[in-house]
Amino acid sequence: MYSDYAYLIVALPVLAFVLTIFLGWYLPKGGGFFTVLATFAGFILSLGILSEIYPDNIVIHQSTHWFANFNAGILIDPLAIVMLLMVTFVCTMIHTYALGYMEGDPGMARYFAEAGLFTAAMLGLVYADNLLQLFIFWELVGLCSYLLIGFWYRKPSAASAAKKAFLVTRVGDVMFLAGIVLLYTNMMKLGLPEGTYALQFQTIYDNLVNIPPDQLTWIALLLFGGAVGKSGQFPLHVWLPDAMEGPTTVSAMIHAATMVTAGVYLVARMFPLFYAAPHALTVVALIGAFTALFAATMGIVMFDIKRVLAYSTVSQLGYMMAGLGVGAAVGAGAVGVGMFHLIGHSFFKALLFLCAGSVIHAVGTNDMREMGGVLKSMKWTGLTMLAGSLTLAGFPLTTGFFSKDEIIVTAFEYGEFGNGWLPYIFVIVAALLTAIYTFRLWFLTFDGEPRSDYGKHESPWVMVGPLVILALFALFMGIPAQHAFYDYVGNNFDHYGVDFEELAIVGGHQVVHEAEAHGAEGSHGIFHTIIHILPILFGVGGILIAALFYSRWKRFDSSIITSERDPLRHILLKRYYQNEIYTLWFAEKVVYGLSLLFNMIDLKIVDGAVNKISDILGGFAGTVRKVQTGVIQNYITAIVLGLAVLLILIQLTTMEVAI
Amino acid sequence: MVPLVLYVLLASAMFTIGLYGLLTQRNGIKLMMCVEILLNSANINLVAFSTYLPNENGQVFALFSIALAAAEAGVGFAILITLYRLYGTIELDNINALRW
Repeated sequence: MYSDYAYLIVALPVLAFVLTIFLGWYLPKGGGFFTVLATFAGFILSLGILSEIYPDNIVIHQSTHWFANFNAGILIDPLAIVMLLMVTFVCTMIHTYALGYMEGDPGMARYFAEAGLFTAAMLGLVYADNLLQLFIFWELVGLCSYLLIGFWYRKPSAASAAKKAFLVTRVGDVMFLAGIVLLYTNMMKLGLPEGTYALQFQTIYDNLVNIPPDQLTWIALLLFGGAVGKSGQFPLHVWLPDAMEGPTTVSAMIHAATMVTAGVYLVARMFPLFYAAPHALTVVALIGAFTALFAATMGIVMFDIKRVLAYSTVSQLGYMMAGLGVGAAVGAGAVGVGMFHLIGHSFFKALLFLCAGSVIHAVGTNDMREMGGVLKSMKWTGLTMLAGSLTLAGFPLTTGFFSKDEIIVTAFEYGEFGNGWLPYIFVIVAALLTAIYTFRLWFLTFDGEPRSDYGKHESPWVMVGPLVILALFALFMGIPAQHAFYDYVGNNFDHYGVDFEELAIVGGHQVVHEAEAHGAEGSHGIFHTIIHILPILFGVGGILIAALFYSRWKRFDSSIITSERDPLRHILLKRYYQNEIYTLWFAEKVVYGLSLLFNMIDLKIVDGAVNKISDILGGFAGTVRKVQTGVIQNYITAIVLGLAVLLILIQLTTMEVAI
Repeated sequence: MVPLVLYVLLASAMFTIGLYGLLTQRNGIKLMMCVEILLNSANINLVAFSTYLPNENGQVFALFSIALAAAEAGVGFAILITLYRLYGTIELDNINALRW
């Protein structure tokens, strides 16, 4: 019954967008309640749909012909439904919070209109049933992120951050599109029967084994390129920290519910393809794990509260990618692992961002050096942020603990089965760093003595309410949901009849059976217990280290490890010279130089040729047009002369004939 | 009866005079007059041949032609009057606003 109205999940936020953008200016709070209600209605619908398809193995598929061999449709399978629930729920919280946070901003109506469209685009992306439709919504998400990051477009830094986000993700999008084209070409070569839609996921899954493996690898890597751009993986992660220029609620949306999760979702959605493609998952695992570590190291030295969170997002996205990537060893179960971290991360990262927004709202600065002791005036915000930080750090029994540890353990199995230890080393070290930077953030902000004279007041209830709800989810979702989630989402592709053993042969993976993995666990019991406990130690250890350096129980000063002249610290503060490499060197020297060259070629050669031709023609015409004097008498003379010549000629010819 | 060749000669002479005037004159009214002479030479031809054929069609044509000439003269002089009001002259060489 609910599934008949599945299209409303996207249609309602779109309607909210239309209403808000036209009527919002005349309504209190910019008509934000439209967006909140539409998103919440989407959540209710998603819950209804979940009740219909869970736990039975039902997949809802509605499809209509679009054009040629493309269709438009809705596909709700376990993978999609968890995303739908998460996006609608987290967005409802964020939009509610924004009612308070954006209060008084003259562009409130615009904010809620764009936020509504953003939500709609993400939801449409989630339940698209074919790759083309997914790509369209994918681009729409990119557009909305551009609009929202540049929400305060009068601020030059916001405008340039928006541009940067758009352009950097564009690099990925082009690769994504190329991947789709390549996939389509290969599907066409197979000679599909009449009436099948080439880019429908079902069709793709069914025909994976028929596509040449080297083509599969190219397709997978190109699609992964799209995911790298969208999900802020190395080396296209640079836009994410800059995206902090938008309102904090936008950051929360981008980092938690919409946008960045799209890339991970794409990889999860196309997991059979990645699995069948040789080496593709290895790349995913390495890039993901490297990003996790790389971003975490930068998170440790930042002083802007939102930037720390931004790098933490990049890092956690790396975890998700790594979680999917190590699926080379454990098969489809990796989708469950990666997606569980995605869902859990959405809750606690939305929470952390909203808390940070609440703090910034009250304190009036982003710089943690000017905060300190905020807990005294903001009990609720401080405690909910503590909840978010605990789960991000992987404190035992929180949601983040279950999801992250599972990825780390899976990464270990990945190494154990001879696929390389690098991902495991990266993610385990990143786990330690995560705990350190998270609690450094918390202690610097909420603990100690105030370091500047800032505003001291708790945020209104419309803002604190969502925080509390999100905090509850962040803390307690993991225990009841974990295993059901792994089973439900991990078996997502069973509904399509995807045979992973067959694909493993194509992809050249060593198939690890569930029983075999457990058997191995039994034989090295103690060793595996250590592997399971290690992430806990690292997480708790990181919290302790942060406490020793930054809290009121401070034992050490950071100067004992590092000094102003420390080159490592310098590199981290400079963010690995990314700005120098990407902007100053690559953008301003290489790209700008090439642009100048091309500009020259365009002006001198292309335009030159065209101009020359038109000059010649123009000169010729300038001479010839003198004939058209505009004096009628000249024309008459010409006519008479012509007539006379004609007459004489006729006379002569007829005479010849007569002769 | 006057021989046909005289009519044709008269018509040719008038046509040549008219054409000469059309080619050489610059005054608007003179040009109009030349056009009238051209038309009338054609009319003479029409009437003369019609009388000799004998066939009345030529005379009917001539009548039409006279009516047309009257209309043409009316429009032409109206244009010339307007031009004179605008430019203060009807020397056509001076009226070249739309020329390149």
